[in-house]
Amino acid sequence: MSDDPNAEVDPALVSTRSVEVVVMALLLCVAVFLGWDNWRIGAGWAPDGPQAGYFPFYLSVLLGGASLVGIASALRSEELRDEIFVGRSAFGRVLRVFIPTILFVLLVQLLGLYVASFVFVSAFMIFIGKLSVWKSILTGLIFSGLMFYIFDMQFNVLLPKGPLEAAFGF
Amino acid sequence: MFESLVSKRAAVLAACLSGLALSPAISPAFAAWQPTKPIEIIVPAGAGGASDQMARMMQAAIQNNKLSPTPVVVTLKGGANGGEGLMDMLASAGDPYKMVISNSAIYTLPLANKLPFDWRKLTPISILAFDNFVLWVNANAPYANAQEFLAAVKKEPAGSFKLGGTGSKREDHILAAAVERIAGVKFSYIPYKSGGEAATQLVGDHIKANVNNPSENIAVWRAGQVKALCVFDNEPMNYEAKVTADLSWKDIPTCKSQGVDFQWIMLRGVFLPSGVTPDQVAFYQELLGKLVETTEFKEYLEKQALKPSDLKGEEMVKFLEKDEALYKDLMTQSGFVATN
Amino acid sequence: MEALDSLFHGFGVLLTAHNMMLMLVGICLGILVGVLPGLGGPNGVAILLPLTFTMDPTSAIVLLSCIYWGALFGGAITSILFNIPGEAWSVATTFDGYPMAQKGEAAEALTAAFTASFVGSIVAVMLITFLAPWIASFALRFGPPEFFAVYLLTFCSFVGLGKEARHKIIISLTIGFLLAAVGMDTVSGELRMTFGSIEMLRGFDFLVAVIGLFGISEILLAMEEHLAFKGQEAKIRLSVVWRTWLTLPRYWMTLLRSSAIGCWLGVTPGGAIAASFMGYNLAKRFSRDGAQFGKGKIEGVLAPETAAHAAGTSALLPMLALGIPGSGTAAVLLGGLMVWGLQPGPLLFVEQKDFVWGLIASMYLGNIAGLIIVLATVPLFASVLRVPFATIAPMIIVSCAVGAFAVQNAMFDIWLMLGFGIVGYVFKKIGIPLAPMTLALVLGDKAEDAFRQSMIGLDGGIGIFWSNKLVGTITTLALIMLFWPLIGRAIDMIRGSGHASPASAASSESSRP
Repeated sequence: MSDDPNAEVDPALVSTRSVEVVVMALLLCVAVFLGWDNWRIGAGWAPDGPQAGYFPFYLSVLLGGASLVGIASALRSEELRDEIFVGRSAFGRVLRVFIPTILFVLLVQLLGLYVASFVFVSAFMIFIGKLSVWKSILTGLIFSGLMFYIFDMQFNVLLPKGPLEAAFGF
Repeated sequence: MFESLVSKRAAVLAACLSGLALSPAISPAFAAWQPTKPIEIIVPAGAGGASDQMARMMQAAIQNNKLSPTPVVVTLKGGANGGEGLMDMLASAGDPYKMVISNSAIYTLPLANKLPFDWRKLTPISILAFDNFVLWVNANAPYANAQEFLAAVKKEPAGSFKLGGTGSKREDHILAAAVERIAGVKFSYIPYKSGGEAATQLVGDHIKANVNNPSENIAVWRAGQVKALCVFDNEPMNYEAKVTADLSWKDIPTCKSQGVDFQWIMLRGVFLPSGVTPDQVAFYQELLGKLVETTEFKEYLEKQALKPSDLKGEEMVKFLEKDEALYKDLMTQSGFVATN
Repeated sequence: MEALDSLFHGFGVLLTAHNMMLMLVGICLGILVGVLPGLGGPNGVAILLPLTFTMDPTSAIVLLSCIYWGALFGGAITSILFNIPGEAWSVATTFDGYPMAQKGEAAEALTAAFTASFVGSIVAVMLITFLAPWIASFALRFGPPEFFAVYLLTFCSFVGLGKEARHKIIISLTIGFLLAAVGMDTVSGELRMTFGSIEMLRGFDFLVAVIGLFGISEILLAMEEHLAFKGQEAKIRLSVVWRTWLTLPRYWMTLLRSSAIGCWLGVTPGGAIAASFMGYNLAKRFSRDGAQFGKGKIEGVLAPETAAHAAGTSALLPMLALGIPGSGTAAVLLGGLMVWGLQPGPLLFVEQKDFVWGLIASMYLGNIAGLIIVLATVPLFASVLRVPFATIAPMIIVSCAVGAFAVQNAMFDIWLMLGFGIVGYVFKKIGIPLAPMTLALVLGDKAEDAFRQSMIGLDGGIGIFWSNKLVGTITTLALIMLFWPLIGRAIDMIRGSGHASPASAASSESSRP
C-alpha cells in the first residue's frame, strides 16, 4: 500500500520478476511430473470415454504451457524487474508470524492442540505483541480452556491431544 | 438439553478421575476393560451413505441405552472409497478406542487398487448384518420379471442397456459383471458416487436398471417409482411387513428362481485395530452383543431390510476368508484386479 | 390453497415455546460456527447431531436447520471485516465486501449481505412451499449430460471475466482441476496422483484449501503491512440499515437473478459455493459498470450472498424429496433423518406432514429471526477489530487449524493448510487469481465424472450434450457465456462505437492492486 511509510525505505529482498519466474518454473516441474504420472495410468480415449488419466494429463499440458508463457512474459517485463515483491523488513514481519505458526503446528503434533494453542497464543502476545506477561498467559489459558470446554466436553469433537490430557485421563 | 449432556459428561469425568483404581460405579463391571474416553466409530464412506447411517444408529442406540460409559463419536473417513479409513485403522495398532464399520471394500481396495491393506492386520469383532442386492428397473419398464428383462437386454445390441451402480470395480460392478457372464448379456455399467444417486438416476430413466441394496432404493420403491425384479440370494428376504402398497421384501423372488443362479451379499462388519488386548475385544463383543438386542438396532435392520448376523471370532474369520476368495475369483474373471 | 393450509399447519407445529427456543439457540450457535473460519455448516451440524437423537424429529430438524441458517448468515461477517471467508460459500463475498469495508462502508456491506441472504432464502423457501413436487420431478430429469452442462455453464460464466493475464487465470484453473482429481477416480475406480501416499488418498478437501488460501495468507499479508488487520470498524446504526435498504430495490434484477441461480444450483447439486461464484460473475457481466466490481460495489456483495443462501436453502429439497443431498450439510441432515426414524423420499411429504411443514415453517421464521439477530450482533463481532492484532491473530490461526483438522480428523490437513497459506500469499502477490482455483476445486471432479458418465454407452459422444431440449439449451447457454466478450464486441462494432471494449482493455493492464 502506498500509504505505508516503510514502503519507501524498505530495501527490496527480491523482485517480483524473480519470484514470478521461480514460481512459474516450479509449476512447470509440477506439470511435467503430473503429466508423466497421468500418461502412465492411461491418458487415451477408450471405447467407453476418456481414461482415468485423460483429463489430468491434458490439464498438466495446459498448466505447463501457461507456466512457460508465464516465464517468458515475466522475463520480458521491465516493469516487474523493478517491482519489489517484498521488502526486507516486511519479509521479517511475515516470518515473525509464519515461523511461530509452523512451531505451533509442530507443537500440536507433539503436545496436542490445547496445550499448543495455550503456548502459541501466550507466546505470540508476549514476544510479538509485547503485551504484559500475566495478561498474555491468562488470555492463553482462558482461550485454551474455553476451547477444551466447548469442543471436548460439550460436543465430543476429537481434536489432537497430548501427554497432558492423557495424564488427566482424557 | 445442554445441562443434561454436561452433567452426564461431568459424571463420567468424576468417575474416571476418582475411580481409576476403584471399579467404575457408572455401569456394572461386565468386562475387565472399560473405556475411559470417547469411542470413535470410523466410517470408511461419505456422509449420508449406508455405513454412515449405520454408525449414527449405533451411536444413538449406545447413547440412549447407556451401553458404554463414555460417549461414542462418528468420524467419516471416506477418501478413496473408504481406503482412507481402512489405512487409518492399520496405522492405529493398539488403539482400543477406534472401531471401523466396514463392507466389502476390505477385499476390493487391495485387489483393484493395490492398496497395502489386509483385513488380517485388523482384529475382527463381529459381523452385524449382511446387505442384499436387488435387481431394480424403472416402474414404467415393460418387464414383469428378471427373465423378461434379460431377454430384452439380449435382443438389443450389446452395451445399449445402461446399468448403474455405486463406484467402479466394487460390489455393484462385480455383481453386474457376474450377471453378464451368467446370462450371456452385455450392459454399459455407469458408476455413480452413491447408491442414492443410482436410485434417482433410475427413476429419471437415465439408466435402465440398478443393483442397489434394499435400503438405497426403499424410498423410491415405496413411492412406486421403481420395480424390484429379483434378489441375489438363495432365499427371499425375511421381512413380511408390507413395504409398498401390496408387496413386502419377502415377495421379491430370488434371482435363482429366475434362472440367474447367483448369491451376492455384503457384510457390514466391525473391526478393531491390531494389537488390542483380549479384555478389550471382550468389551466390544459384549457391547455389540447388547447393541444387536436393542430396539433401535432391530428397527434399523427391518427398515433397511438387512439380514441379521451373529458371526464373530473364529466363525467370522472363516467367513471372511471364504468371502475374500470369492471376490478374488470374480474380480479376476472380470479383469478388475490391478496388474501393473 | 393446499400448500398454504399445510404451511399454517407447520407454523402451528412450530409455535411452541420449546421449538422457538431451539430455533434461537440454533441460530446463535450457527452464527458462531459461521464466523469461525473453518468450522463450517456441515461440521457444526455434524457436531450437534448426537444431541438431537433423543429429541422428536421436528424439534431436532428445527435446531439443526437453524444452525445451518445461522452459519449461512455468519459466513459473511469475517469475509467483509477481515477478508477471511468464514465459510467456503462466502469466498465470493470477499471480492467486494472487503473493499467496501476498507472504504469505511462495512456497515452497509454487512447490511447488504444479511439482507441479500434473507432474500435468497425466502425466495428458495417459497419455491419449496409451492413448487416442491414440480421441482422434485424437474430434478429427476438431470442425468449425467445435464449435470455436465450445468457445470460447464458455471465455468463458462467465469472464464474471461478476470482482470488478470490470461495465462495466470489458466494456471489457477488447471491447478484447481488437478487438485480436485487427486484420489479415487469414480468412473474407473483407479487411484490418481496419490503417489503411494496414504495421506493423498483422501484427496484435497476444498475447505482445507480455502482456509489456507484465504485465511492464513491474509494473516501473512496483514503482517507484512504492519501489526494490524486492515479491517474496519463497523457500527450498525438503524439509520445505516434503513439507508442501505432504501437503495436495494434498485438492484432487484441482481437479487432476482441470483435467487434463480441459487435455487437452480441448489436443486441440481451444484451447491452454494458454485452458486455464489456464478451469482457474482453474472452480476458482474450484466452490470452496467461491471468494471467497478472488485472495488467495493454493493451489487458484488448482494449477488453472491443471495445466490449462496438460495442454494443452501433449496439444497434441502432434493434431500427431503429424493433422498439425494444437494450439499454437504444436507448430507449430514440426511444421516440424521434416518436416525430419527424418517425415510426421506417422495413419500416424506405425504407421510410426515408435521415434520416437513414444521421444517418449512422454520425456514421462514428462522430466517427472519436470523436476520434480526445478525443485525443486532454485528457491533459485537465488529468489536473484535479493536482487540490487539497480536491477540486475535494467533486465535484466528488456531481456529483455522481446528477447522482444517475437523474436516477429516487429519493432522496432515493442518500442514496442508499451511502449504496453501504460502501458495495463497505468493499467488496473491504475483497476481494469480485464487477464485478460479477454488471453483475448479469444488466442481472439477463432479464435472469430470458427469462428462465421463455421459460418454459411457453406445450413445456416448459429444452429441449427447445436445440430445434433448434441456441439455441442449444449457450447453448452448454455456457456449454463449464463454464467447460473451466476443459477442459483446461484435454488438459494439455493429453499433459503430470505435473504442475497445472494457474486457480487452482490462486484460492488458497490470493486475496488481
